[in-house]
Amino acid sequence: MTALVSVRDVHRRFGSGPATVHALRGVSFDVEAGSMVALVGRSGSGKTTLLNVVGGLDRPDEGTVVVDGDEVTGLDEDGLSRLRRERVSYVFQTFGLIPVLSAAENVGAPLRLARTPAADREQRVALLLELVGLSGHAAQRPSEMSGGQQQRVAIARALAASPRLLIADEPTGQLDAETGRSVMALLRAVVESEGVTALVSTHDPVMMALADRVIRISDGQVDA
Amino acid sequence: MRTGLHGASIRGRIRADAGPLLLSALVVLLVSLLAGAVPGLMEKTADEAVRDAVQRAGNSAKITVSARWEPDDTLNGRARLPRLADDVNDLRLRALDELGSELQAMMRPPVAAVISPTLKVTDGSVLRTFRMAYLAAGDGPQVTWTAGTAPAAPADDTAEVGWYAPPWRVQVGVSETAADLFGVRAGALLKVADERGNTKNVQVSGIFRPVDPADPVWAEAPWLLNPAADADGAGTTRFGGLLTAGSLPDARLAFGPDELERTVVFSPDTTVLTWSAARTVNATVVSLQARSASSNAVDTTTTWRTGLDSVLDEVTAQVETAEVHASVLLAAILAGAVLVLLLAADLLVRRRSPALILARQRGAALTALGAELLAESALVALAAAGAGCAAALLVTGGVAWLWVAPVLVTAVAAVPAYGILHAASATRDRKTPANRSARRWARHTGALRRAAAEIAVLVAAAAAIVALHQRGLGSGLPVLAPTLAVIAGAVLLVRLLPPVTHLALRWSLRSRRPLAVFGTAQASATSGRALPVAALVTSTALASFALVTAATVDHGLAGGAQETVGADVRADLTDDAAATTDETARRIAAAPGVTGVVTGHVTDSAQIVADGRLVPARLVIVDSRALTGTALTGAQALVRSAGDALHEGSIVDILQPGKPAVRLTASGAAPAVGGATEVVIVDVTAGLPAPPNTIWVTGPGATQATDGLTVVSRTEVARSRRAAPLVAGLLRLTWAAAAFLLLTGLLGFALTAAAGAPGRWLTVSRLRTLGLTPRQGRLIAAGELLPVATVAAVGGPLLGALVAAMTTGPLGLRVLTGQVTDPATVLPWAVLAAVVALFLSAVPLLVRVEAALRRRLRLAEVLRVGGPT
Repeated sequence: MTALVSVRDVHRRFGSGPATVHALRGVSFDVEAGSMVALVGRSGSGKTTLLNVVGGLDRPDEGTVVVDGDEVTGLDEDGLSRLRRERVSYVFQTFGLIPVLSAAENVGAPLRLARTPAADREQRVALLLELVGLSGHAAQRPSEMSGGQQQRVAIARALAASPRLLIADEPTGQLDAETGRSVMALLRAVVESEGVTALVSTHDPVMMALADRVIRISDGQVDA
Repeated sequence: MRTGLHGASIRGRIRADAGPLLLSALVVLLVSLLAGAVPGLMEKTADEAVRDAVQRAGNSAKITVSARWEPDDTLNGRARLPRLADDVNDLRLRALDELGSELQAMMRPPVAAVISPTLKVTDGSVLRTFRMAYLAAGDGPQVTWTAGTAPAAPADDTAEVGWYAPPWRVQVGVSETAADLFGVRAGALLKVADERGNTKNVQVSGIFRPVDPADPVWAEAPWLLNPAADADGAGTTRFGGLLTAGSLPDARLAFGPDELERTVVFSPDTTVLTWSAARTVNATVVSLQARSASSNAVDTTTTWRTGLDSVLDEVTAQVETAEVHASVLLAAILAGAVLVLLLAADLLVRRRSPALILARQRGAALTALGAELLAESALVALAAAGAGCAAALLVTGGVAWLWVAPVLVTAVAAVPAYGILHAASATRDRKTPANRSARRWARHTGALRRAAAEIAVLVAAAAAIVALHQRGLGSGLPVLAPTLAVIAGAVLLVRLLPPVTHLALRWSLRSRRPLAVFGTAQASATSGRALPVAALVTSTALASFALVTAATVDHGLAGGAQETVGADVRADLTDDAAATTDETARRIAAAPGVTGVVTGHVTDSAQIVADGRLVPARLVIVDSRALTGTALTGAQALVRSAGDALHEGSIVDILQPGKPAVRLTASGAAPAVGGATEVVIVDVTAGLPAPPNTIWVTGPGATQATDGLTVVSRTEVARSRRAAPLVAGLLRLTWAAAAFLLLTGLLGFALTAAAGAPGRWLTVSRLRTLGLTPRQGRLIAAGELLPVATVAAVGGPLLGALVAAMTTGPLGLRVLTGQVTDPATVLPWAVLAAVVALFLSAVPLLVRVEAALRRRLRLAEVLRVGGPT
């Protein structure tokens, strides 16, 4: 299989002088297309920084990141916006839904940005809501839903534009154990059904068990 | 539990939130300065207004005491009374005594004057008139005799003059100026005669030079020093002869027994006259006039005459109107300031929310949290208020604490109150009722509480407006009417905004433009916040109210001047010149730049009976088509009345002594003439004697064409009224209030934006992870701010204009503009459009600033930084 994500010798430092923090120290790895990779490590180990760099939300000080054939580190702001609109999506720990929009409207948001025709958009949204088990909650607003339901909506939204790469940072961090497990199972299921590649940071052993591969990171370096 | 104040926490919070705290301090400082100083400035302005009014009134503000002479008739004629000057001086002292010590303190030393009737110089030269005058004020006026001698008594100073004796010789002194002008020398005999042609025997004994030409004594007979050339437009030159104590008895004998007028004149001392003393002075003056002898009395009892009471009445009405206007504006300023301080407090508590909640969770008592916040806000507010009040003290010498108090209390109490409520609600054990109806009731209770508060505001505003219309401006509720009406309007707009943004969101969801969806979604999510909308709308509306008021006053002053003058220039001719009015009018009409000339007869002494009742009204007899554009028949009249005494359809009888009354029917409304409230205009064909005494001139050349005449110019009247202390002061305060309220509006907008910024940019960042560009992100941020800005920018000025239109009449602005009726509300569209543009342009500016401030905040933070949905 070919690598969808290729990370080579990535360094990322914060601050300057004696207070410099080396968040990433020469990280290199590949993620094969269609796989689900769990990124595991203690708090402060550099997981989120690595996800940000891979997703184009942050730029490394050194090294290269290639996603789906494009070198992310070489893209300008417009290029990064296009990348995020078309090929990379995110699932946040805090869901990140728009409060005044219904579940269906939240899911359809990326499709609006992609100027998808209304009929196609509605069809895709219905499909995704069914996929995440929320067909009956399409008209509900985030405040009317539980945490697990909101995260399911967030996953559906992340899949809406049919991205090649889905990045999730602690997607179960704000959920109870049982809800978290069901969200993990959902993620695993959509990776298979949608053919998307997922890079997920987690502390959850269940998630690690569901992943195709586990990358351990500590002190800004990938453990061998 | 923490119970004491933690100094380090307070200092740390002050350092961390220096920006909002400084902003609050600035508002408190400005309001303390404005509110603290305005009442004091108002009092100073009132003093200036009283002095200005008295100065403008000139002779009519003087108090004139007159008394008949002691009889001088004998069995065969009249006796020369050598001590006549002592009698005049006695009258001066008697008047001084009757005046009372309180009023004496407000007056300059009295001047006793004896003035002869006007005589015509009959030497065949150009038209000249001559009068004699004796002036006495203590030891003045001092003169130096440069030629000849001072007028003196004849050798036999107790002579008796027979009834049919030739004219008695009287010696006078003539000023150097007059002597040079007319070639008069010491010893010369003046050929003069009275209006009946009786010659007088007047000899110039000497030529004098005043020691102090500026001595106020000369003001009683200025023509003694300087001949007045062509003052009446008919080419007449007036000059006079000075009498002395020695020649005064001869002057009396030279005229009929009561022809010489002896008076004592008190001029108000404008250096000591104050607003606080004006009421006492007015009451005393009215009392003196009421006690004075009637004109028919044949004894030597004093008769008091003055227009000072009218002048003081008018200025009192103006000061009272200006004072309540200042109160109206101060109430508006306080409302704007209080609301922006609440916004600042809201922002501070939002910024401190995590720390407050953490402190509470760690066991801090609410009282301890409140005490810390109170100590901090008290420190900032008291320092700012102290600085503002100190500045006010320097400017005016006093501070109006009553006006400063509301702002100070808000500045001190708002942050602790918000902080305690926020910490309490965030850490309270929420007990949600299991029962659905109980949950619904709990939900509805909050809504009902808010509705009750809103209804209370609406009722208070309605009551204030009704009170204003029924009672006019006074203290209490009517003063608050404009502010309450604006707040009530703001409450309605607060209620309207959420459904409107919700509708906009529903509309945008059907559109194909994603930015419209996200922008309106953000707007809809934040439009429910009542305080920002209320604060911004109130500030812009009250600022607009002030701007509309200023424009209305400014326009009203022009209208008032037009009403007073009736044309570009009005010439009021003296009786002497009236005979040549038509010729003068023709000369003016021929001058370049004159587009219209109308002559007419104007009198306030006509006896007019309307519908059987005597009505004191100004009668104007004129070519009606030329003056009003409406041609009247000889049986018609145009009428104007402040009340209902004269109205269309009234039967108006104009009484004429010894002739039948002229009966007219009021056929329409008359324009204001000379600022009179009651006016009757009749056509020259009505059969009333109408020697024209007034010329109205219009056209750009009107002023030049009337050069040399005693005229009243429309632009000069408007300029003079605009420059009057009260009007100028009130306009300055109105502009200052407008500027302050616009500033508070902009500050409020900045605070509103700052309070919502973290949430707004977090959402924008999240949307950017969906593929939005930075520019699209800024547009969405602007979309969130746009509804509040639009409501403030458009709704505020409209609301302000509406409230101004509702309150302009009862505010009594006519007292200041000099109009007969209430001025029409003037909407300064260009200025209001500038307000709209100012607030709308603030949106992209704020978004750019926010975006620039967050440039360092990496988009990556969005994955790390949490927050509910």
